[in-house]
Amino acid sequence: MKLGFPRALHYYDYYPFWAGFFQGLGIELVLSPPSNRAIMETGLKKAHTETCMPIKLLVGHIASLKDMDGVFLPRMVSVQEKTYLCPKMLGLPESVLSAVPEGMPVYSVTINQRLGAQKVYRALEGLAKELGKSRADVKKAYMTGQNWQKLFEEQRLAGKDFQAVIKALGQQSKGPEPVPVPGSGEPSAAGPSVVEQPVIKKDKPYIALLGHSYLVNEHFANHNLLKRLREKAYVRLIEEIGPEQAESQLSGLDKPLFWSHAQKIYGAGGVYADHPQVDGLIYLSCFGCGSDSMTQELVASRARVAHKPYMVLTIDEHTGEAGLITRIEAFLDMIERRISSESNLSAHG
Amino acid sequence: MKVTFPHMGNAWIVIQALFNALDIEVVVPPQNSKRALDLGTKLSPESACLPFKINLGNYLEAAEQGADTIIITGGIGPCRFGYYGELERRLLCEAGYPYELVILEPPDGSMLGLARRIKYLAGKKNSWGRIIRAIGFAYRKSVVLDQIEDRVHKARPLLQGLMDVEKLYDEARQRLAQAMTDRSMADVLRWFGEQADIGLLMEDQKERPLRVGITGEIYTILDPFTSLDAEKTLGQLGVEVDRSIYLSGWVGQHVFQGLAGGYKPMKMYPKLAKPYLNHVVGGHGAETVGAAVKFAREGMDGIIQIFPLTCMPEIVAASILPKVQADYNIPVMTLVVDEQTGRAGMETRLEAFVDLLERQRLQGGIREDVFSNAGK
Repeated sequence: MKLGFPRALHYYDYYPFWAGFFQGLGIELVLSPPSNRAIMETGLKKAHTETCMPIKLLVGHIASLKDMDGVFLPRMVSVQEKTYLCPKMLGLPESVLSAVPEGMPVYSVTINQRLGAQKVYRALEGLAKELGKSRADVKKAYMTGQNWQKLFEEQRLAGKDFQAVIKALGQQSKGPEPVPVPGSGEPSAAGPSVVEQPVIKKDKPYIALLGHSYLVNEHFANHNLLKRLREKAYVRLIEEIGPEQAESQLSGLDKPLFWSHAQKIYGAGGVYADHPQVDGLIYLSCFGCGSDSMTQELVASRARVAHKPYMVLTIDEHTGEAGLITRIEAFLDMIERRISSESNLSAHG
Repeated sequence: MKVTFPHMGNAWIVIQALFNALDIEVVVPPQNSKRALDLGTKLSPESACLPFKINLGNYLEAAEQGADTIIITGGIGPCRFGYYGELERRLLCEAGYPYELVILEPPDGSMLGLARRIKYLAGKKNSWGRIIRAIGFAYRKSVVLDQIEDRVHKARPLLQGLMDVEKLYDEARQRLAQAMTDRSMADVLRWFGEQADIGLLMEDQKERPLRVGITGEIYTILDPFTSLDAEKTLGQLGVEVDRSIYLSGWVGQHVFQGLAGGYKPMKMYPKLAKPYLNHVVGGHGAETVGAAVKFAREGMDGIIQIFPLTCMPEIVAASILPKVQADYNIPVMTLVVDEQTGRAGMETRLEAFVDLLERQRLQGGIREDVFSNAGK
């Protein structure tokens, strides 16, 4: 049996779990092609005009699936207790059903950690039953999924590039082959981790790139932002800050952020803002992102307190390469000038 | 301590009643206006949704009248409204307005939680008994308010040209704001009924007015400034409107946890939405879909969904409404508002929609699939 899985949105955070889970069930999980012009245009045509670009891209990916026995579209409500994911994710798959190719069955499961791990497991059992698998199969599949996800997160924490990690997982398990990102290079090109090496030799500025993983790692839609930045600076991501470290930042908030991804972004942002070796923060967001509209303001405030240069890059389906490059260059120029001509005291005094 | 709160349509009448009954000094912010919006927008994150920007303007204007405490409902997501209070407090503080914030949070958002927060505000002057009675009275006032709004919806299309409906509505609200007993509230209702005798007016009509259901994000559909007077415009175009959400229904559902129904209950919406959307998505996304199904089944001529730019739960609903449109053969129009939205644009769209409904009715009441761009 072949189930299609869109290479968008949840792919960037949870694909290893699902790949492992279905591998354990003996079902092939096949990814849609990497994002391209045709997929984006289909997404723009079929998705609701008001929705955000990641969802439009998701719709394009769903519509591009061919020759599958079905498409797997989980409803991911919560992956961490006392938090939610974005409302648009709670609205899957119903809000994107019109994108599913004619006649292709849709398989879904609701993952809601707010109800507890037991309930999540039961939900997975329900899905497996629908696919004609036994409860014993589910146990094995769940373990495989958990292991792959854990390995994935550990590798990301160590600063390994997203595509490289996915590829390695695939080779290890003889699972699906992802396409390597052109020019992403070896993990070490990303630069040394702030956590491991507090004092770093500076031949390039040190930038923290914050934002949802489905924007930061979506190289087509973000015009290869990560590669461009890495040519001029060491770039660190939110996945490279461990959960305990990120959590310690959250105590500074009077009210807890109730989105797990916002906690991750704000937590990592706080760690990077405070770190003396980090020269600047860039928050990559997209037009219309509801949770970012709140998180951005909180991160901006943290950056201000830490006197850290901070820039928000808001992209959408209309974003032009030139504008993006100009902004990055200006930001990096400012940082270089700050390092060479100014002392550590902010020019604001 | 001078307490203020965000404006949302006529809710101020109910909130003011609650605080007056407890002798808590309350500052009702000036009505929503361009000034409030401009002040709020300047201080808000650019991508915050419209209600956030207007509310911030409310607090800035209330500060000019000496308010120092804000009371607002909270939330635990996933809709961002749950974080409004906290972010607003920070922005106001940074701008030099050190407001204290009292948030009604779930599970505190229950009646007990509400009573506790009120006790904090009410201090030693008020016993628990008095607090409970005040909450009950405010709730009953919200039911009367909704009844008045409902009658205004029915009266507008029938009274066009015969009477100044808006003037009557204004007076009814003033009278209700001043009513301090159940008896006087009943009097207001009776008086209003006499002034606009719907039953009598219906007899003179050759055919019933067109009926349109308004659904969408709660703040936008309850607040006329935010919806650019969509209800009034429709009424003036001869349309009787109904809404998916009324204040007492919302209070009954969210503050009293469903123990009270309010004038128009919201309880049935998730069940009606189920075939189209089988999970909560935060805000009133599922309710919007459920209400659309209810309106379609009631034989409404059309449905209008209104929400602020970027509202996440409503975007989910908007993606699903085309299916309701197709299944029930009922025209659905979605309108998105933000601080740039112009009145003329709103009126044009409403006029066009009403034209469509009138033509559809002329063609014999069979709903043709007139919206070819639905959901594509």
